[in-house]
Amino acid sequence: MIELYAISDDPAPPDPPLRAVPCGRLTALCGPASEGAVTAETLWRHEEIVEGLMETRNVLPVRFGTVLEDERAAARAVSGRDAQLTASLDRVRGAVELAVRAQPREPSRDAPGRWGTGRDYIAAKRRRTAEIRMVRESLATAARDSVVQTESEHLRAAYLVDRDAVDDFARLVRRVQRAHPGLDVLCTGPWPPYSFAEAGEPA
Amino acid sequence: MTTTIAEQEVALVDLVDRLLGGGVVIAGDITLSVADVDLVYVGLRALVSSVATAEEKNALPAMGSAL
Repeated sequence: MIELYAISDDPAPPDPPLRAVPCGRLTALCGPASEGAVTAETLWRHEEIVEGLMETRNVLPVRFGTVLEDERAAARAVSGRDAQLTASLDRVRGAVELAVRAQPREPSRDAPGRWGTGRDYIAAKRRRTAEIRMVRESLATAARDSVVQTESEHLRAAYLVDRDAVDDFARLVRRVQRAHPGLDVLCTGPWPPYSFAEAGEPA
Repeated sequence: MTTTIAEQEVALVDLVDRLLGGGVVIAGDITLSVADVDLVYVGLRALVSSVATAEEKNALPAMGSAL
């Protein structure tokens, strides 16, 4: 059994034990299937492998836990979606993903009954929602694409950012945090473009 | 910048979101069983609450590039 880590259009062989499996115009980057229980360490190990691949080539990361019978099965599965995967690869070429969360620093402060009226509560809620929207929109200006996973008073978003614009994006996050001291703005990355790998199907 | 425990936990939440919810879906056997996913998410809920606790103590930096 082999595990599929990523798909690329660069046929260069990766460091062993990883292997490059030709799939028409594309290349599937595979390794021996990992066994045992899924732990945080397993996930980080998987991530480390995909990040290593991402350093030297453009990749589409594959959903964790994709295990196939052998290299022929991998080639068949990938070749079958050739056109769509090539389009996705073109979309993420030269870019990485940055994850951003933003949420009110003290969410319980404006709860009804604690202080003020229901009207105060609704006004505060509306204000926080507007603030989250401002954060989302200003970060989007520095990104090639974005996927917003949740909204309202909490933002959980993924931004597709050009590799050489990551520092600019990080600076913008810090600026946004300073402009909105009532929010916690948390950014992690750069990640492989997991949230942009499937067109029209955000993570 | 030193990486705090809270930062690592935020990064783990982001990691799990991406690995289990993102990436290309290729036909094949997904080895991860529903039970495994449940376990991972139970762990996550514990992490999320500890991050919230850290935030109350202002232990989280404004911007955590944790990787």
